[in-house]
Parts: sequence; structure tokens; C-alpha cells
Amino acid sequence: MEELAVVGKSVTRIDAEEKVTGQTVYGYDLVLPGMLYGKALFSTRPHAIIKRINTEKAKNYPGVHAVITGADAPWIHGETIKDTPFLAQGKVRYVGEPIAAVAAVDEDTAQAAVALIEVEYEDLPAYFSPEEASKPGARAIHEDYPKYHKADFIVTSPLPNVCEHFKLRTGDVEQGLRKSDLVLEQRYRVPAIQHAAMEPHSAHAMVDDSGKLTVWVPNDAPFRVRTETAEALGLPPEKIRYINPYQGGGFGSKGGLKVERIAIALAYHTKGRPVRVKFNRQETFVSTSTRHGAIVRIKSGVKSDGTLVAREITIYWDAGAYSEKSATVCIRGSLPSPGPYRIPHVKVDGYAVYTNKPVAGAFRGYGIPQAAWACEQHMDDLAKRLHMDPLEFRLKNIFVDGDITYWGEELHNVGLKETLLRATEAIGWGKTEKLDPKGFKIGKGFACISKPTRTPTTSNASVLVDGQGKVTILAGTVEIGQGCSTMLSQVAAEELGVPIENTRMHPLDTDVIPFDSSTTSSRSTFHMGNAVRHAAIHAREQLAQMASGILQAPEEHLRFSDGKVFLKKDPHHAITLGEVIRTQLGPDGVVRGNGSYTYELGKDVDPQTGHSDHASAFYMYATQAAEVAVDEETGRVRLLRVVAAHDVGKAINPLNCVAQVEGGLAMGIGAALHEELVVDNQGRVRNPSFLDYHLVTSLDVPEMKTIIVECPAPDGPYGAKGLGEPGLAPTPAAIGNAVANALGIRIYDLPLTPERVYWAIQAATD
Amino acid sequence: MNTRIQIRLNGKILTLTVPPFRLLLDLLRDEIGLTGTKEGCGTGDCGACTVLLNGKPVNSCLVLSGELDGADIVTIEGLKIGPHLHPVQQAFVQEGGAQCGYCTPGMLMMTKSLLDENQNPTEEEIRFALSGNLCRCTGYAKIIQAVQIAAAELRKDEAGK
Repeated sequence: MEELAVVGKSVTRIDAEEKVTGQTVYGYDLVLPGMLYGKALFSTRPHAIIKRINTEKAKNYPGVHAVITGADAPWIHGETIKDTPFLAQGKVRYVGEPIAAVAAVDEDTAQAAVALIEVEYEDLPAYFSPEEASKPGARAIHEDYPKYHKADFIVTSPLPNVCEHFKLRTGDVEQGLRKSDLVLEQRYRVPAIQHAAMEPHSAHAMVDDSGKLTVWVPNDAPFRVRTETAEALGLPPEKIRYINPYQGGGFGSKGGLKVERIAIALAYHTKGRPVRVKFNRQETFVSTSTRHGAIVRIKSGVKSDGTLVAREITIYWDAGAYSEKSATVCIRGSLPSPGPYRIPHVKVDGYAVYTNKPVAGAFRGYGIPQAAWACEQHMDDLAKRLHMDPLEFRLKNIFVDGDITYWGEELHNVGLKETLLRATEAIGWGKTEKLDPKGFKIGKGFACISKPTRTPTTSNASVLVDGQGKVTILAGTVEIGQGCSTMLSQVAAEELGVPIENTRMHPLDTDVIPFDSSTTSSRSTFHMGNAVRHAAIHAREQLAQMASGILQAPEEHLRFSDGKVFLKKDPHHAITLGEVIRTQLGPDGVVRGNGSYTYELGKDVDPQTGHSDHASAFYMYATQAAEVAVDEETGRVRLLRVVAAHDVGKAINPLNCVAQVEGGLAMGIGAALHEELVVDNQGRVRNPSFLDYHLVTSLDVPEMKTIIVECPAPDGPYGAKGLGEPGLAPTPAAIGNAVANALGIRIYDLPLTPERVYWAIQAATD
Repeated sequence: MNTRIQIRLNGKILTLTVPPFRLLLDLLRDEIGLTGTKEGCGTGDCGACTVLLNGKPVNSCLVLSGELDGADIVTIEGLKIGPHLHPVQQAFVQEGGAQCGYCTPGMLMMTKSLLDENQNPTEEEIRFALSGNLCRCTGYAKIIQAVQIAAAELRKDEAGK
């Protein structure tokens, strides 16, 4: 195999220079000619019937162009369950639900008019825990749930407020538990947290004279949201256009119809003028989406030699007031929740449950971090009771090549063991280098995960080469900060043999760019990487055919490098790509290569058994380890260092891989030690600001070491898998295990705040 | 009631008539059209809107236009030195200090302010100086590296003078 020129190199991000000079235009920066400014009125009640809305005063306020309520925007949307009104329809289901909206000449006017809208409520009983909401006899938050339009794979439940019931059934778990030498049952809890991307949410929308709706929004899945919008409005997709300005981080929050739907609803009442709706930070915290809070009950049976025999898991995913992505989080988060281990008898029940809380949705990791918090600490506790080393216990049970998983898939290219060995080695597992300083307890811990990607999905791409030898990539992957534009440029540059400076990404516009499923699920490097690679090869083949005539040599004797076509044997016999095109197609000629990629074998899991023999196009494997010092007097957990070993298949850009992992680690550290969206007993979020919601700062991150493991995936571009999400998935469990290792005490609930750790220490001393 | 102010913005004198309660952040973004300065929270908690006011870093979302008469303001758009990136910009590019890039302008202005005061900061001093600038993408590691590299570069420049 020829050596790779650009792929595998830590080239500088192609978007770096515009970002450090302040030229990048994000959604929040966008200005459109003639635009109006929208603001929404949000519910102050967690669950109530709207008896009356009076918008008269708002309508008469000077400078107001439109005041709308649910009656003016009678649309319902939902990616898998159509349960979400654009604006509340007769009732509200959480504090922060949009009820009405105003478009005005400026934002201050819109806000002032919103304050004049009067709402009369009749309160209903509210639920703030998924366990309470799903108890038999609980009142339905969605009375019409049985009538909602649902995707085929949704499994309903006789339990109240359950919007999806995931089931996995393998072997006979009862028998497995009976045959075990040790059975342990535990219950873990994870609170909701918020994505807190630095750019708050915003959208611009306009309806033109022909009835075409255009939406400018940094959405992570422009084609999917176009479909969702089309279904809600009853329009053909070609009547809807999504244009993506730059996205200032998303982590799963900037998908679906959130702020978008308010801008769209207003745009239908502003006579062709565009409307901008910006959520401020508080609105972003409360009225976009959160990560699912979860309650995980886990019960395992093991042989005394450490062989796992049976595992039974029940997870309550707190969906909040609307389903958003809860059904698929429930499915894809519950499926691998028993962990990356060989277990013959497995039973999993995942319930996504409506509550009267802010809506939970996609969040980097898609359920895996919550499941790992439970499973990986449970693994350490099992090891402790078996008097086994946690590393030895895992090595005995982890997935290796050729294993058949409990969901029925034969695994290949499993880099898990290498991540486990390298992370534990780097943290010095089993070695005690230092004595506990006075008042502190030192401990180490680690945790492993495997994560599937959404499957099957499709990516398409085109690559244009012009008479100047410049390459333009048309791909629907959204630059959300992860570096996809650099990665895809590397792929195109590699296949066409051009310098990376000669490549650029076309801005994302659904009217121009070919279809892509989404920029989610860590799928882009694998899927879009393949599509762009195929497109570039297709362009290269056309260029080779042309060059073969010019250079009078068969195509197989040609080589592409440095923006030129050479004869392999005689590198001086060369012609630039631009010349090839100009000679053959004229000065304005363009060669277009097209590529498409779908993981054809992929198959959704069976709704009754949870089985699929190709549930994921590839799997991501990781082990992370942490060393902590716990202050016995205050309960404060001080992180000394963290190590992350990730199997990426092939690092297309090693620097960007490390950057992804470091960002993930910081997010995982926040989730482990301080992040929690606190909802009070009246459904109000008590900490919707950066003052009260403790995001990780530069003072909170310790020394981080990233180890890139490359166990290539034969179907991935150059062997690459994915990497966006796993960086934060095992982090809290690794830290939890380190805390337990330090104190000899297991703490079951996140986050590990000083207060929680302090009381755990007190309870253990009593 | 509008007020008339004269400011020096990125080296250029501007005379503006603005409501005195207009935030500096909005003045820059909405009235002058410089959107490089970002809004992350509007309450002074995230540092995304950091600019230099008379040489000191401020959250521009907490500064009123009425206070600005005679002020010297530098924003991200004024950081380049002629056609060249400032060493802190260059270092952020090289080290991967920007991912989504939304916190980057504020981060760079804060870094410039730190390095104007102290060309040889310790890692702890860098972490402390940037602790009011939130970033959700990078985990800060590459940012801290970039600041160290920029500091070394500036010391070299200084020595070469």
C-alpha cells in the first residue's frame, strides 16, 4: 500500500484562521435584510390546562407585527412520536414550554409585548420522577398518546406515561441467576444535565411569496429536520430549505425543532419578512433539551471464578415533557447497557417515561454515559465481592474478536482489550506510588465502554475540481466544532493528490448539498468519510482518463500528487490537474465526482428481543482511568490526572482526535463532579445560568493523557471508526471507581459533589 | 435620550450617537456590525464577549455605552498586526486551541491581556487568568498549550527587538 500523504497527519484545522480572527458567522450572528425579532412566552406551570390566553394588549403594543398562540400554529411534530406542538395546544406540560410568540421591530419591543400576554391556568398534578410517573394509576401527561403517530419500531407499554419500552431478551436470566455463585443488585441514579454549548440557540425563518419556507439555523441534521418540518406542516420537502450557518457547539442539543419552530410559526404571520428568534442563556438551559436523567437497576450473577453468567437491567429514562429523541436514546442506550462483556443470560427493560420536566433529548453519548455510570461501578463491586482485581475480572469477560454479543452480533476488530491494558498501565493500576497525604485519601479507578452508531444511515457527497485545480466538497456533514471539514478535506486531498490548501467545503444548504442522514452518533468520519472518498476517487478516475490522453500513457501508469498527474516511472512527465481540465473541458470546465455510502448490512434491533446481527456499522471502544484525592474533611474530590484510551480504527487527524477526547473528558469530569440541572418540586429549573450551573473551567481540569488505539475497521475510510461521543462516556464511572477505591465507599448518585461525598463518608463512619 | 460618544475602536476614531443604556456588546455587534465578539450568556458569566477596554479585559455585556466616551476599545477584529496573525492567534491555530470557535475571540482577548501584563506566566497563572472564559469543546488543554507557545513566541520577539 502506498504511503498516505495527508490522511493520518495532524494538519491544522482548515477553519482555524477564520475562527481566531472573528470572521466566522454563527447562527447567533446572522443578520437578514428586513428581519423582525421574535420572542416567546413560556409556561410558568409544570402541568396545567390553559383556560384562557389574552393577547390583545400585546397586539396593540407599538412596533409589534405579529402575536401568535397555538391556535395560529396548529402543528405537531416529533422525530419518532408526533407529540410536540409548535406552541402549546390547550395545555402545558413543563415550566418553560413555549405558549405564545411575538414578532416586532426589535428584540426589546418583542420582549415588552410578550410580558403583556395574559395566561390563565388550571393546574394538574405533576410528576417529576420517571418511577412515579410510570406507576400504575398515574395520570397521563399525554392523554392522546395512544392516538399519536409513531414510528414502526416504537414499543408501547401498559404502564402510564411510558413512551417507549425497549426489551432485550437473551437466554434465561432467572435460571442464570440461580446458577450463579454470587448475585448482586444495585440502583444508580444520574441527573439531567445540559449541553451548554457556548453559542445559545437561535433560528431565522422566512416564507416567500411562492410559499417556500427557508430556515437559517445551525442544526446538526438539516435533512432530518427538513423531513420533520415537512411532516408537521404538510408540505413537500422541496418547499422547505434549511441553510446552516456555523454552529458554536451543539453536543446533541442543536437538532430537531426547538427554537426553529418558534421562528417558523412566526414567519407564517409576518408577510414575507424574515424573523429571528434568539434564545438567551436561561431559555437555552430550560427550553431546548437536556441529557436524560436516568435510574438504573442492575442485578448480576457471577461464578466464583469471575465468569459473568446473568445480568438483568431496568432503566427509567426521564424523557421530560415530550418524546424528542427519547425513544431512540432508550433503544440505543439500553441495548449495550449490560456493558462490553460476554454474558449468556441477559434481560434489559428500558422505559422512556414522560415527566413534567424540561424535554430530554440527544446528548453526546446517547445514553451510554448513564448506563456506564451504573454498569462499570457495579463491575468493580462485583470484583470486590469476588476478591478479584477489577482489571482481571474485566479481562475475563470483555468482548474480543469473534465474540457473539448478547444482542446476537459477531464482533470483529475489537480494540477494547488494548484500550483497557493501556489505560490501566498509564494510570499505574495496581501500583501505589504515594502515601495518602494528611486528610486525603488517594484512589484510582477505570471504566470501559463500547458504543454503537446509528445504523443503517446514508451519506452522499460530491467533489468538484475546477480549471484552477481547486477542489470543492459538497457534503451534508455539519461543522459543529468537531473538525469534520478538515477531516473531509484530508480525505479529498489524499485521493486527488492535491495540497489541502486547495480544498474547501461548500456551505451547507439543503437545496444544493446532497442528502446526509445527520451529524450525530459519531457517524460522520465513517459514513461521510467513505462518501467523500468515493466521490474523490470518481473525480480522479475521470481526470485520469483525460490525463492518459494528454500524457499518452495508460491510466494505471499515472500517479496523482502535489496537484499534478505524473507518470509513475518519469515524475518529470507531469501536468497539473487544472491544465488537464482546461485542456479537455475549456477554461471554465469542472469535473464532478459523486460518492455515496450506506452500511448495507445494518439492521435495526428486533423490537421484541432487542436482537440484530448487524446493529451498528462499527463500534467504538474506550477505557478511561482516573486518579483522585478525596478530602475527608470536606468531601471534595480532587482529580489528580485522567487517562483516556480510545480505539478510533484509524486516526485521520491525530491532533483532532486528541482534541475530541480532551473535550469529552472535560465534559465527563463536569458530569462526574458538579453538573446537575436542578428542578424543584414545582418543576422550575433552579440553576439556569453559568453562575449557578457549574460548567468545567480551566481550573477544574487536571493533567489529561490521551492514548489513540488503532484497530482498523475494514469498512471504514482508511480503517477509521468514530470518536465524537465516547470521550465523556466512561469518565464519571472511572472517577466513581477511583473515589470508591480511595474511600472504600460506593456512591450511587451523580454528581459527586463535596456535600454528597461528605455525607457518604459520615454515613459510613456512623 | 441618546448620547454622543467618541471612541477609539481597533485604532480608529468613531463618533456615535447611541442610547446610553446600550450594552457595549450590542453596540459592537448590532450598531457597528462587528460580530467577532460573541454573546454566550449576557450576564458576565462566560467571557465570550471579552474585549479590551483601555487595555483591560471586560465582559462587554456588562458595559454601558454611556460610560464609553473617550474609551480605547480593542476587539478580536483588531488583534491582527497588519496582515499577520498576532502570535496568540497563530498559536491557537497551530495547537488546535479552537474547535467550534465560539469562545475563541473572548479567550484570545483574555490571553492578550494576560500576556501584555506577564510574558512568562506559569501554567497555574494561565489557568487562573482564563478561568472566567468558558469553553465546552476543548477541555482547555490545547488552549493552555497555545498560550504557553504564544508567550514563548512573544518573549522571542521581545528579545529580538
